[in-house]
Parts: sequence; C-alpha cells; structure tokens
Amino acid sequence: MIAEISHFFLVTASGLFLLSFIFSTLTYKTNHNLEILVSRVFSYGSYFVFISFFIYIWLSIQSDFSIRYIAEHSNKDLAVFYKISSIWSAHEGSMFLWIVFLSLWSQFFNFKLPQADLLKAPSIGILSFIIFGFLIFLLFTSNPYDLILPIAPVNGADINPILQDPALAIHPPFLYLGYVGFVIAFAYNTAFLIKGDLDINWEKIIRPWSLIAWILLTIGITLGSWWAYYELGWGGYWFWDPVENVALMPWLAGTALIHSLYASSRSNSLRGWTILLSISVFSLSLFGAFIVRSGIIDSVHAFANDPQRGLYLLLFSGILIISSLTFYALRLPKLVSSNLIKPKSKESFLSINNILFVTAIFAVMLGVLYPLIFDFIYEERISIGPPYYNTIIAPIAFLSSIFLVFSVGSLWQRSSKLFFIYSPLSLSILLSIFIACFIAFKLQDFEWWFIGGIFSGFLILIRYLLLAINNISKKMYFNKASAISHVGLGILLISISINAGLSYEKIINIKAGDSFQDDMYTFNLLDFDLINEDNFDSIKAKFLIKNNDASEQVFYMFPEKRKYFIRGQITSESAIQITPFKDIYITLGDQLDNGYWVVNIQYNYFIRWIWISAIIMCLGSLMAIKERSVKK
Amino acid sequence: MNKIRKQRLFNVFLIICVSSLGVFFILKALNSNLDYFYTPSEVLIANIPQDKRIKIGGMVKKDSVDRNGTKVIFKITDFENTIEVHYEGVIPDLFKEGSGVVAYGKIRDKTLIAENIFAKHDENYMPPNIEISSG
Repeated sequence: MIAEISHFFLVTASGLFLLSFIFSTLTYKTNHNLEILVSRVFSYGSYFVFISFFIYIWLSIQSDFSIRYIAEHSNKDLAVFYKISSIWSAHEGSMFLWIVFLSLWSQFFNFKLPQADLLKAPSIGILSFIIFGFLIFLLFTSNPYDLILPIAPVNGADINPILQDPALAIHPPFLYLGYVGFVIAFAYNTAFLIKGDLDINWEKIIRPWSLIAWILLTIGITLGSWWAYYELGWGGYWFWDPVENVALMPWLAGTALIHSLYASSRSNSLRGWTILLSISVFSLSLFGAFIVRSGIIDSVHAFANDPQRGLYLLLFSGILIISSLTFYALRLPKLVSSNLIKPKSKESFLSINNILFVTAIFAVMLGVLYPLIFDFIYEERISIGPPYYNTIIAPIAFLSSIFLVFSVGSLWQRSSKLFFIYSPLSLSILLSIFIACFIAFKLQDFEWWFIGGIFSGFLILIRYLLLAINNISKKMYFNKASAISHVGLGILLISISINAGLSYEKIINIKAGDSFQDDMYTFNLLDFDLINEDNFDSIKAKFLIKNNDASEQVFYMFPEKRKYFIRGQITSESAIQITPFKDIYITLGDQLDNGYWVVNIQYNYFIRWIWISAIIMCLGSLMAIKERSVKK
Repeated sequence: MNKIRKQRLFNVFLIICVSSLGVFFILKALNSNLDYFYTPSEVLIANIPQDKRIKIGGMVKKDSVDRNGTKVIFKITDFENTIEVHYEGVIPDLFKEGSGVVAYGKIRDKTLIAENIFAKHDENYMPPNIEISSG
C-alpha cells in the first residue's frame, strides 16, 4: 500500500514535469504569469519526487520484501545505513537516485534564480524535459516498484560483502551529484542559445553551479579510488576500467569548463567555446550513463545487461545533445567575437590547455569505444590496458602544466613578456629542472615520464610559491583560490609520479613463527587467530614488524581472510600501515599444503598524497565560488 | 579585416596540423597496446608472436592447480582444449577450480607466462567466448 503511494507520487511528478515543460514552450512571447506558473509547477514536481524517494527509503528500512528490487538487494540483517545504501547498489534504485539528484539541483536552481531572469522559464523548461525523460525511463524500463506476487519472501538476498563499506556506500551519491550538477550549465546555456540574446551574462550564473558540481564529482571519484585501494587488495588506486574512464571524461571536460568560464567572463573571445564545453560536460555524463547501464561494455561496475534500456538512453541523450548542438550551430556566427586571441595572453595559454584537455577526453573515449568498434569490424575481442592511457595522459599532463605556469604571470587580452632573466617563470623552470635532475641523479635508474612528472609538479608548486612571496612583499594581486587548487594539482602530479616510480611489491612464503627481512623492515609472522563473526569466519594473521633503522620502531599488522556464509564468498582484508610518505600494505594469499602462506607485501609511496591533493583542489574550488567573478 | 582573416586562417591551419599529429600519436599508442582475447582453442590455432601480451579466458580446469611456493601452475580450459598457465604471485580470492578466469601474459611453448590473473567479481561469470560457444 505504502509502495503504491510512493509510486503514485512519482507518476504524478512526471506529469507535473511534462506540464512545466509544455508551459515553458508557451512563454516564448514574454508572459509573466505563465513564467511564474512554470516555476511553481516545477517545484511541485520536484517535491513529489523527494516525497516519493523518502517513502522508498522508509520502505527499504522497513525491509518491505514485497518490492522485488528491495528483496533482491537488501536483507533483514543489514544495518540501517546499508539498507539505505542498498537502494543505489543496482540499476533501478541508482537511476531513481540520479533522478532525485536531478530534481534537487534543478529545484535549488529554480529557487535561487530570480524570477526576473530572462532565461528562467526556458531553462526550467529544459530541466523539466530532462527529468521527465529520465522518469519515463525509470517507470517504463526499470521500475523500482515491481512487486513479488502473491507472497513476499521472508528475507532478502545478501549483498556482496565487499560492497558493504562506508566509502562505497557514499561514493555513488557524490559521483551522481557531480555528474548531474552540470545539468544546470547545460540547461541554462541551451536556453541562452534558444533566446539568442547576447547581452545575457550566463557565465556569472552558471559558474558557481559548475564549481560545486566539479567539487562533488572530484570527491566522488576520490572516494571510489580510495575504496578500491583498501578493499580490493591490489594496492592500486586507478585501474583504467571503462567505468572509471567514463567518470574521468566529464571530470576533464568539467575542469576545462570551470577554467573557460573564468576566461570568457573576462574576455569575449572564448564565449563560443565555453558554451560548447558546457554542453559537452553534461553530454559526457549522459554518455557515461548509457555506457554503464546498457551493459555494452564489460566492466566490474557494469549493471545487468538490457538492450532496451540502452536504446532508450541512447535515443533520449541523442535528442538532448543534437537539439542543443543545433541551436549552437545556429547561434555560432553571432557568438564568434571579432577579436582574435592575442598570442602570449592569458587566454591564449588557456585555449592551448583547452585543446590538450579535449585531446585527453578524445583519447579516453577512444580507449573505451575501441574494443567495441574492433569487435564489430574484425569480430575479435580485444581490451585496452593501462599502458595506452599512461602513454597518452602523461605527456598531456606535462604540457598542460607548462602552459599553466606560463599563464600564471600573463595578462588578459594582452601579450605579456614572460621570459627575462630574473622573471619568476625562468626561476621556477630552473629550480624545477634542478630538483628533477637531483632526484634523477639520486635514483640512477628511472624512466623519462617519472622525471617529467616530478618536473611539472615542482614547476607548478614553485611558480605559485614565488607568486605568494611576490604578493606578500609587493602587495600584488593574488588569486588565492586558483593558487590553492593548482598547488593541489602540483602535489597530485608529484604523488602520482612517485607512486608509479617507486612503489614495489614482494611476494613471500612464510609460516607462523618465521620472519622475513628486507632492507627496511623485519616482518615476524607471530600466529593466526580464528574469529567467528555473525556473518563470516575469519582467519587473521598477526605480524610484528620492526623498522630496521636506528629508531627500531615496532608495530603490528593484521591482514585477514574472510569467508562469508551466505554466498560462500572469500575476501581478503589487507592490512595497511600508514606512514607520512608511504603505506605498507600486506595481503594474505593462499595457504599451501606444507603450512606456508603466500603473502604479498607492498610499499606504496605517496599514495595518501594523491587523495590529499584532491581534497586541496576541492578546497581551492570552494574558495573560488565565494570569489566574485569580475565582469569585463 | 584582411589581416584578421589571414591570421584566422593560419590559426585554423595550425590547429588542424597539431590535432592530426595528436590523433596520429593516439592511434599509434592504441595500436601498440591492444590486448587480444583468446580462448584456449584459439590460442592453439592462432600464430601469436612471442613478445605479444594476450588475454586467455576460460575455466580453471578441475584438479589442475599446483602450488609451489609463490608459484602457481594451472590449466585454463574451454572444455575442448587446455592451456597451461604459470604465474608467480597472489592469486585473486575468487580464483577457484571450475570457475571463470582470465590470465594475461605472453605465450612460451604453448604455455602462458602470466603477469596477471583476473577472476570476476561474480560467481556466475562466464568468459564471453565460451558463453557463446556453449549457449
């Protein structure tokens, strides 16, 4: 009964969104009352979606197993937290969450944007159309309210134990909030293209929304990477899995967008390009939704295969993207400014980096789609491994950091003299070459990309350090938000390089009572504990580890192997010892017949700093929202 | 006007040159990093160069797993042919006799020297080609 109420609210909401869309098409000739009506009807639609979702959460907490989706993805014995997160553990519920977030963002936007804004009614209309399209998709192809008739099961299914984890439970919501957040930029700019009134200052409107979306997407990706690191036992943080790539594309495009928005609010020349980017970010999110949910790509993340869903999403995204691009093509001649970009001006460097980012997006997309194309043409199965992405992304990261550093001291709309003997640019280049050479000399054995990464990371750090010093001594203008974000980027580049260059692993055979020594630590395997928990049995190894250096610091580590009862699934819980610059990461392998165990010991350098740098970048972007964007 | 035209034309030309160079490098990287996917039967027929890394998918043959220290030897089967796999390292938790596996590495004398072993996060997983041929 309660499920029907929730279902009813959702169906009504889709009707309201359709209504709001129809009203918005009638407001082409300005009609103030109708515009208010569009906004009102839209609000009710959103509230109905929220009410419906809250009821669904309640049903999930109550373990209402008459609903097929809840029965298949939840369980009576789960903690309340995981009962709620089970809603987005599979296709139907996560689509529901996606729609809730779409409505949430749009409703905030609807609420914040003054009624007098010329583009309010059309952009709300576009948002209504998008939400309506997704609601129809949910209700007709992936209904989360399907019932199990006539008798509901007593208990639900068991959730995969590796998915019962706090980081994983909150990772999809952040990711979706990020993906969906770029819808505001998409809708508002499409509305701008439809109206074609060039005086409208859309940069200012969509900038804060895009920044928040970018922050949330960054947090979502970081959480996923952190979870994969400690839970999957491979000791890696990024695997170039197709679904990761699909999240990376809107992230790259979003990064380009928030930079371009800044530039086009200061100089006219990039306006057309920025609009194209704002369309692309959301289009890439839609593309991601299609890839993940159509099941056309083989991935650990892929949801159940259903061609019908894929086709609907493809058609719907196609309509949205093509109509938006058509308006773009129509308005483009007016958007193109007659001023050329001055060489060696700030926007010239920004444009180069824009091109580099688009190249990266193109390369990643090709990597995702190429196995499909290849299978279609040659009927052979291939996959594209991490080396491909590393070969492409490393030089792009290198080049774009150099142009970033060039742009720091340059001026808007003016060529600037960057290289002179005592210029901060020359100084930072010299210093980072010195640091890179020093590290190369210390290591003896290295690869070119490693030194390149170190060089570009330090280049950024030193350039901003000099800027900060200059700011303090000469009271020069200093964009703190940008500086903090880019310092985060510098740390990220250094950490990724060091992690890839220095981390190593050892596989050893060891039995209780034995010890193993390498040049840094001595590992004593003391004994094993057998533990019986409610839903799994566990065997826990107890390692006493001694630092070989003068400090003789001693600590324990407990890598573990679990066997869950219901699925009979075996999982390894790696033990991780965190030190400032490296993690010690121990995974318990198999037991051999002679009582020995296979144990994997990894030293992962600077891995924490990868996530810390993501947090720093988010903080910088958070500050950028507060900063008032200055209009030309 | 004319000067601007000229400059613009030059910019377009420059962008086309740079991006075709970019596309060339991307395609080159793509082609040198393709990993082909084979079933054991296909491996026996195909002529695979020694330095080429490939993926072999199939089921772990029953009673074929032999552990010796940190080394593991097992056979992958597609129920018609089998390929022996040598691997050194920790094998994934989901690796089981009789369940699906993908091994990645180079071929030496009809044996795969594996660098990586993948077991799917799903006990009902069937390697794609086998599913097609058996179903």
